[in-house]
Amino acid sequence: MKLTIALPTILAAGMVVAQFVVVATPAQLAPRRIEVTAKRFEFIPNEITLKKGEPVVLVLKSADVAHGIRFKELGIQTKVNKGQTSELAFTPDKTGIFIGHCAVFCGSGHGQMILTLHVVE
Amino acid sequence: MPRTVLSILVLFIVGSSPLAIVVVGCKADPPGKAETAVMNWTKHKIFVHNKSQKNPVIDNAEGIADGKVAFSHYCVACHGLDGQNTGVPFADRMSPPVPSLAGKEVQSYTDGQLKWIIDYGILPSGMPGSKGILSDDEIWSIVLYLRHLPQAGSLGEPEMYSH
Repeated sequence: MKLTIALPTILAAGMVVAQFVVVATPAQLAPRRIEVTAKRFEFIPNEITLKKGEPVVLVLKSADVAHGIRFKELGIQTKVNKGQTSELAFTPDKTGIFIGHCAVFCGSGHGQMILTLHVVE
Repeated sequence: MPRTVLSILVLFIVGSSPLAIVVVGCKADPPGKAETAVMNWTKHKIFVHNKSQKNPVIDNAEGIADGKVAFSHYCVACHGLDGQNTGVPFADRMSPPVPSLAGKEVQSYTDGQLKWIIDYGILPSGMPGSKGILSDDEIWSIVLYLRHLPQAGSLGEPEMYSH
């Protein structure tokens, strides 16, 4: 008799907990979105601090010509057409300082377009 | 002492330039064999620095592909897609002419010297410096590409000369 009451109660409680887990998980893992403007010959901002293991989306906006960003050490890159936006989603899996360079030749200061990522614990 | 000799030589050349212009005009003839040999020796031994620096870009397919892309930014306008002047209409009309980057004169530079040349250019030839225009990483990858140039003519001519 006790079992017939306890079992549904446990099941109901489990379902309630499961709902919280289902609802809570996407919110916790929702990537952090960071807007970065690319223009001749700089990224704004040009330094960003991220947490290791935290999903992130860099939203790269071109304010003039075509640009790109490439973090060679992290093996990630994206390009953006003139005046448009592109997204670079990734999760840093190691700490350190990573330098990203413009990945599309954009003129005389192309080699100086740098975005620095500080990935911390 | 060598610097003093060099300074005197430079002063002599600069000082005699107006006279030379009056005598022969502003025409730039192609350099002769002796002049080329002297200049090549001087560049390799004196003017072009950075002999001992090593290329940090790993010598693999990815590094070479990166170099090919970086080379295509604007090196191709004078050196062609293959680094051997294919399709460059003025390559042999410049003084000195644009060298084949696959040739012994270029390939005998060390990696560090090639980096230095791309950084600072070679005056008074037509080779400009690219420091700041290209990133260090791109320039080193170009140096790697120069060590693995494709067969002459195999990549066709630069698009800019096809129209």
